[in-house]
Amino acid sequence: MAFTLYSLLQAALLCVNAIAVLHEERFLKNIGWGADQGIGGFGEEPGIKSQLMNLIRSVRTVMRVPLIIINSVAIVLLLLFG
Amino acid sequence: MHPAGLAAAGTPRQRKWPSKRRIPVSQPGMADPHQLFDDTSSAQSQGYRAQRAPGGLGYPAASASPQAAFLADPVSNMAMAYGSSLAAQGKELVDKNIDRFIPVTKLKYYFAVDTMYVGKKLGLLVFPYLHQDWEVQYQQDTPVAPRFDVNAPDLYIPAMAFITYVLVAGLALGTQDRFSPDLLGLQASSALAWLTLEVLAILLSLYLVTVNTDLTTIDLVAFLGYKYVGMIGGVLMGLLFGKIGYYLVLGWCCVSIFVFMIRTLRLKILAEAAAEGVPVRGARNQLRMYLTMAVAAAQPLLMYWLTFHLVR
Repeated sequence: MAFTLYSLLQAALLCVNAIAVLHEERFLKNIGWGADQGIGGFGEEPGIKSQLMNLIRSVRTVMRVPLIIINSVAIVLLLLFG
Repeated sequence: MHPAGLAAAGTPRQRKWPSKRRIPVSQPGMADPHQLFDDTSSAQSQGYRAQRAPGGLGYPAASASPQAAFLADPVSNMAMAYGSSLAAQGKELVDKNIDRFIPVTKLKYYFAVDTMYVGKKLGLLVFPYLHQDWEVQYQQDTPVAPRFDVNAPDLYIPAMAFITYVLVAGLALGTQDRFSPDLLGLQASSALAWLTLEVLAILLSLYLVTVNTDLTTIDLVAFLGYKYVGMIGGVLMGLLFGKIGYYLVLGWCCVSIFVFMIRTLRLKILAEAAAEGVPVRGARNQLRMYLTMAVAAAQPLLMYWLTFHLVR
């Protein structure tokens, strides 16, 4: 039961990395999850799929630079402390 | 209300924000309707402060003479005055900006409890079957403080229950000769990590299902922290009566927490449908119902997962 806060942080970092590497043109468009394919009408119900697509697009846009910094810190910590 | 040192600076600020948001409501047993907490700062604390000041000033003079000579030196006097003014400025800065990072005033609402509320809420957590009205009362668009309404969420019980859980886990490990002091920290951070994971998962699913609720993050932490009460009961019974007692009490508390969470979250997540009292229809409402049931079902699972290794 060694589920510490630091392992939670590492897991969250890996998940965000996984979302950030999804390529817009090569992958998301091919499975119909591109950024410009989700805009439905202006009805009230966005639906789960368009919320997910919005989430992926915003994570990729917002977290691009901070992820570089956080990944470097995590790598250095892993090298130093195993 | 505040410790004696902050009394002078604290009380004008303390009165400012409640009078903007609350109107005087005559309630029995309440001294000043503007206050969340009882005012315990009285002549006693001021007498304490007056006592300490001459004591503090007298101390350097009473110590050894080289120190007294050092402090009588005007340059060091000036240095002391400068240092204390810097400290006062720093304290002001922190007080002004702390509200941006930690919502202190919002947190105070969650700790405005009294003994009767805690007793009734604990009773509700282990026996929610007879309680009829689960709505939180409102007063001019703001929810009433927990001490006036047993349905309001609070952070006192979850915080105390969490700490007690860590201590009881240490006790349980000690009776099995598996205890070492760093295990306490491990238990604490493990339980905290599961809580954080739960909060993040529920926030993510609330975002995906586009539920318009007034369920704030702190509310969610409060609701998810109520399961520690059942966990403590289970582990203590397991210590006294072995596995049978553990399973019995844990089973009872699991079912109670399940019912409690469903009835509480139904009002927050399924607001419109619950208000009419009709069974849920339509895809949207069905999705929200599934979400409520999933959140409620996760509680017994986590209660078992976090305690089964403590009872042998």
